[in-house]
Amino acid sequence: MSVGQNTDLILLKVLGVTDDPNTDTQIVILRDEANADILPIWMGPTEGTAIRYALEDTVLPRPTSHDLMASLLTHLGITMTHVVVTNVQDNTYYAMIYLCSNGRERTVDARPSDAIALALRAKCPIYVTQDVLKNGGGANVTTWLAKLGQQAHGQTETQDDSPKTSQQTED
Amino acid sequence: MLTQMNVRGLLFDPYNNAYIVVLRDEHRSDVLPIWVGKSEASAIGFALENISPPRPTTHDLMKSMLDNVDAKILSAVVTDLKDNTYYAKIHLWYGDSEYSVDARPSDAIALALRAEAPIFTAETVLRKQRSEELERWLETVKPEDFGKLDT
Repeated sequence: MSVGQNTDLILLKVLGVTDDPNTDTQIVILRDEANADILPIWMGPTEGTAIRYALEDTVLPRPTSHDLMASLLTHLGITMTHVVVTNVQDNTYYAMIYLCSNGRERTVDARPSDAIALALRAKCPIYVTQDVLKNGGGANVTTWLAKLGQQAHGQTETQDDSPKTSQQTED
Repeated sequence: MLTQMNVRGLLFDPYNNAYIVVLRDEHRSDVLPIWVGKSEASAIGFALENISPPRPTTHDLMKSMLDNVDAKILSAVVTDLKDNTYYAKIHLWYGDSEYSVDARPSDAIALALRAEAPIFTAETVLRKQRSEELERWLETVKPEDFGKLDT
């Protein structure tokens, strides 16, 4: 870590998953507790669906890959303590999963999509470093969000979100 | 009774717009086709072709989490077939105990291939799937269909 980097952790809430109308991808929208910064992370449809299911508490008859991963950890008595979106480079986000096994902390490199899908299932906090939030939630994103129509915002909402969600998103 | 299976390859099923993982026993007398979705098929395809994308896939992550805590995948077993749905179990060794975890066969196979762990099928599953419908479908598969996705 070079001098001047801010790696303080900021707690994020997953607002929802929306389709990117411009590409065949999905966007997971995260926001910090103070509602000051939005962090959108683009991902494939499979990854987006994995997060959507967790947000909606949808349980399929057979375990999804992320259900399996969470169940593997539970069976082995391994706790997921938290996940951190650690870095962004060339539009690729990096994340770290923190596990606790037999009292020892372990970290595992992951894509944010997997880390978030797992964190929601394990009900553990999701953090982002100050630097990533500032770089990722920059003005270009605000512009992009502004271009989204009302219809797209409607899709962002998940059933268990508060009714104010879409209003807050447009703040 | 368990039969060890090899992953023969992946096929595209244009009728159902899905993929088929083809398992075959060591003596090549039994074939077990398992229909899976696109993302599950690519998870298996990557493992068969030893492709490592720049960032870990979901199954790469699963493997690396288990490696990280020194859990070892012993085997994947296709345990049952009910109403056209296959069931599997992943057997693991962690600490000093053996664990078995319920999974879809696609996840179990994708994980077993990454861990270089054996894949088994229960004898009952092989018996159940020898239905005429499947036999008939397989007869329509041409050798070149295998060639396309074979490894």
